Amino acid sequence: MFQNYISVAFRNLIKHKLYSAINIIGLAVGLAACVLITLFVRDELSYDTFWDEADSLYRMNTTFNVPGREPFVTVMAMGPAKGALERYFSEEIEAVTRFNNEWPVIQYDDKVFSEEVYFTDPTTVDMFSLDVIAGDLKASLNDNSTLVVNESFAKKHFGDRDPIGQVMTLTYYATTRDFRIGAVYKDLPHNSVLDFQALIMIDEADFENFPWEFQHWFSVNNNIFFKLKDGVSIDTVNARWKDFTDTMMDVRAQIEPGTNPSDFVTFSSQALLDIQLYPAGDGEMKPTGDIKTVMIFSAIAGLILLIACINFMNLATAKSTQRAREVAIRKVMGARRGQLVTQFLGESILLALVGLALGIVLVELTLPFYGDFLGRELTFSYTDGITMAILLGLIAFVGVLGGFYPAIALSGFLPARVLKANKSAETSGSVLLRNALVVLQFTISIGLIVSTAVVYGQMVYGQNMDPGFKKDNMLVIRNVGEKGMLHQQEAFKQEVLRLNGVNHASLTMGRPADGNESNTSVEIPGDPDAGSILLGRQGVDVDFFDTYQIPFVAGRKYEEDRAQDGAPSSDGATDGEILQGSIVVNERTIARLGFGSPEEAIGRVVRMGVGDGVQADLEVIGVVPDINFQSLKQIIRPEMYVMDDGWRGNLTVNFSGDPQALLAQIESIWQQMAPTVPFSYEYVDQALAEEFEAEQALATMLGAFSMLAIAVACLGLYGLASFTAERRTKEIGIRKVLGASVVDIVRLLIWQFSKPVLVANLIAWPLAAYGMMMWLESFPYRLDTWLLAPLCVVAGLIALTIAWVTVGGNAAKVARANPIKALRYE
Amino acid sequence: MLKLHNLSKVYRTDEVETAALNSVNVEIESGEFVAIMGPSGCGKSTLLNIIGMLDSPSSGDYIFMGENVAGYNEAKLSNIRKQNIGFIFQSFNLIDELTVEENIELALLYHNIPASERRERVAHVMDKVGIAHRAKHMPSQLSGGQQQRVAVARAVVGDQAMILADEPTGNLDSAHGQEVMEMLQQLNAEGTTIVMVTHSPAHADYARRTINLFDGHVVTENLRAAE
Repeated sequence: MFQNYISVAFRNLIKHKLYSAINIIGLAVGLAACVLITLFVRDELSYDTFWDEADSLYRMNTTFNVPGREPFVTVMAMGPAKGALERYFSEEIEAVTRFNNEWPVIQYDDKVFSEEVYFTDPTTVDMFSLDVIAGDLKASLNDNSTLVVNESFAKKHFGDRDPIGQVMTLTYYATTRDFRIGAVYKDLPHNSVLDFQALIMIDEADFENFPWEFQHWFSVNNNIFFKLKDGVSIDTVNARWKDFTDTMMDVRAQIEPGTNPSDFVTFSSQALLDIQLYPAGDGEMKPTGDIKTVMIFSAIAGLILLIACINFMNLATAKSTQRAREVAIRKVMGARRGQLVTQFLGESILLALVGLALGIVLVELTLPFYGDFLGRELTFSYTDGITMAILLGLIAFVGVLGGFYPAIALSGFLPARVLKANKSAETSGSVLLRNALVVLQFTISIGLIVSTAVVYGQMVYGQNMDPGFKKDNMLVIRNVGEKGMLHQQEAFKQEVLRLNGVNHASLTMGRPADGNESNTSVEIPGDPDAGSILLGRQGVDVDFFDTYQIPFVAGRKYEEDRAQDGAPSSDGATDGEILQGSIVVNERTIARLGFGSPEEAIGRVVRMGVGDGVQADLEVIGVVPDINFQSLKQIIRPEMYVMDDGWRGNLTVNFSGDPQALLAQIESIWQQMAPTVPFSYEYVDQALAEEFEAEQALATMLGAFSMLAIAVACLGLYGLASFTAERRTKEIGIRKVLGASVVDIVRLLIWQFSKPVLVANLIAWPLAAYGMMMWLESFPYRLDTWLLAPLCVVAGLIALTIAWVTVGGNAAKVARANPIKALRYE
Repeated sequence: MLKLHNLSKVYRTDEVETAALNSVNVEIESGEFVAIMGPSGCGKSTLLNIIGMLDSPSSGDYIFMGENVAGYNEAKLSNIRKQNIGFIFQSFNLIDELTVEENIELALLYHNIPASERRERVAHVMDKVGIAHRAKHMPSQLSGGQQQRVAVARAVVGDQAMILADEPTGNLDSAHGQEVMEMLQQLNAEGTTIVMVTHSPAHADYARRTINLFDGHVVTENLRAAE
């Protein structure tokens, strides 16, 4: 009996090659996509679960509520917050540690280079179970001249030499010191939000003159993690953040009387395990994922599998017509319905198993590329019980789901009717079901096309968005604020300006799209009601507006020969003296200050501190449009372009001609002037485009999986079309005898398959449009909503065209066949 | 009307070559009623299919209304066919999913005839074959005789000059069979050329001439005296 089933199953598989191929390939592709996505999802969910103390580790996030601006959220906090946490939450919190990244210049073995190093507290050892390979981690992090590095760092710089005991000279801020390598730890796995290759104990004395790193309460440069004591709920901490802020934040002198620190700053805690999937704000050690992405791809995996299952079911019911006779004869011979159901379910599961096998082959073939694309090492493990259980469960599910309806429908045939009438045993019910399922498949496909188009469109939009300043042929030379170059940066600028092809150059504090926050509060002299207003700040020089080609809405730019232009230096001023100067601001600043129109704003004065308790009255001399200098992804803030003698870290070069040749010349000047400082640069347009890397990856992945979904859906449609053509052979014959041409017949069949696709469009459009409108909401600058309409129509046309091409070839073949074959004898 | 000269048809499979028709010479005048008889496998249906341009001869000439159509391609044949020839099959070959009316209309659908005229002609021909009261029924709701009447209606609705009938009575009982034969005779009297394949000598008697085929050859042609 069983053998009979198996042999019938295999003969069917081989006899109906097209049917089997479509089912197996469709299922294999669907399963492979599903497995690939599941690998990604499981990896995302595995972040930081490997730490011994993962469950009790939290991070302190900071939100600044600046009046007149969107709240600014960062996952970093202030240096003094560590001590404050330890004192205030002494009952709840066991340990606190900070991570603060710097790029010290390192000298080793006659080489000079720069590497990212994290300054951290000794408590890190007790909180994060680093895998130490050599040396003493605890002792090393308790010493201010010992460096701890990971394996890759050690391999990169020491090669085969024993890293322990090697000495490197590090320079950061005013400190230059020899560091001994004290411990080596295993590289952090990729599935951690932490990312550091070298650690140094924080010695706050090194930063005495640079208080923003660890001492200022209004400067956030540290990722601060804390570990709860056993049995303490995070809720007890969360409930007391406000009181913590007002009690511990020592900023009364800097804020308006009558206000509280908690009016400006809100702290919150985020579990270490939530960081990867619930992005909270700027300042992560490396880009995180997003639960939305995980859900989107889980949904896509499910949808692709659903499409494959529908193929399975549709083709099986369609094919049932051909097997009606077999079923009838089996019934006449005494088969019970249950036996027939078992037989058909078995066949379906067998087919699904073959599909799985091929699917796993596909996974193995594509996994390396997929891992490369995601930038992670992903492996498909055959020994992993959970994976295998999920897969086999999936096969049982697909097999039963795909086989269930046909099994029930086939086994329910009345044998006498089938044998006597010898006519189509198809019920209108199964035809209806099949059409509904095709509609569902194409609804999914069209929805995916629309989504892909919108994500891609948003990416292109972002990349091509006019930031309000020149971005092409713009080069930013970094590190000009590093010791060794800092004091000759002006001379360097002049050397660069002498080069052929250099049009303008400007020294600035920040660079485009660096996302850095720097704010200064100002007052309006003579208007005490206005109070103190916090404004964004970019430090610029006299050539900034020419270099970035920023137009003026009103007023003028800074000019070299006006001695009073810019913010004056506090040097030589007496305490309490009010100096004079000038300032250029953007339009939002004017609105925030209530200065009326840009023209009216010219000549108005703002007062701001210029250091050492000295203040300056700055006359507004120019108003520029709101430009996206800080980031293309944030709402533009009120921003001042302050020309003062503050620190400048970047030189922007506006050039024309060949960038490579120019770059070589600039680098040679650099090497002559500052051989001890690493040369580093970036192009402005690339830096701006990099802000959309996440969208680019999303669009690529979405595009790839959408194409798979559509391919699987079309495979099914092709199968259905050929079965339909087979079923309608007689009708087609009659029509041909009556004079229908090949074109008439093809049109007839194509129309039959166009209807479900058209219906699918009507369902998919509103759904996809709504979903994508929700998605776009999260972008402050986004595609116009009306664009969704043409995108939907185009997606519909694409789906229709694909369906036509799929059905057309088949239809033409059928239509060309000689009708007498179909009509001679029934 | 048509003339077959030295016409042969050979079917080839990988191993076997079967001559279905062997140097057949047949001439059929306009307005004739011709029956083709012969045992199973003698080539009747092949001959009818070639006459109906559903199949092409392997060699020889087929002159239809003065044109040698033997070498014509499918599109040309299809065009001549739909202008001139109507078909009636043993198994009726109605489309199960269409109503009686729609089945008949199908023959006009490919002729660029406006819808109003199509309706008129379908109604007229349904009256003529006595099936008007079943216009909205599905083929499966009709008896065999009724189905064949629908098929006859479909064959003549386009005013075809010639009707080819392949055992039109083969699936019918004698009463219904006679009914269909009388209908064909009536059509012939109105000027339609009819070529019919049949097994029944009684039904062959309705024809004015009988062509007997045996193993692909025309063996005899009996001319029945005009009544």
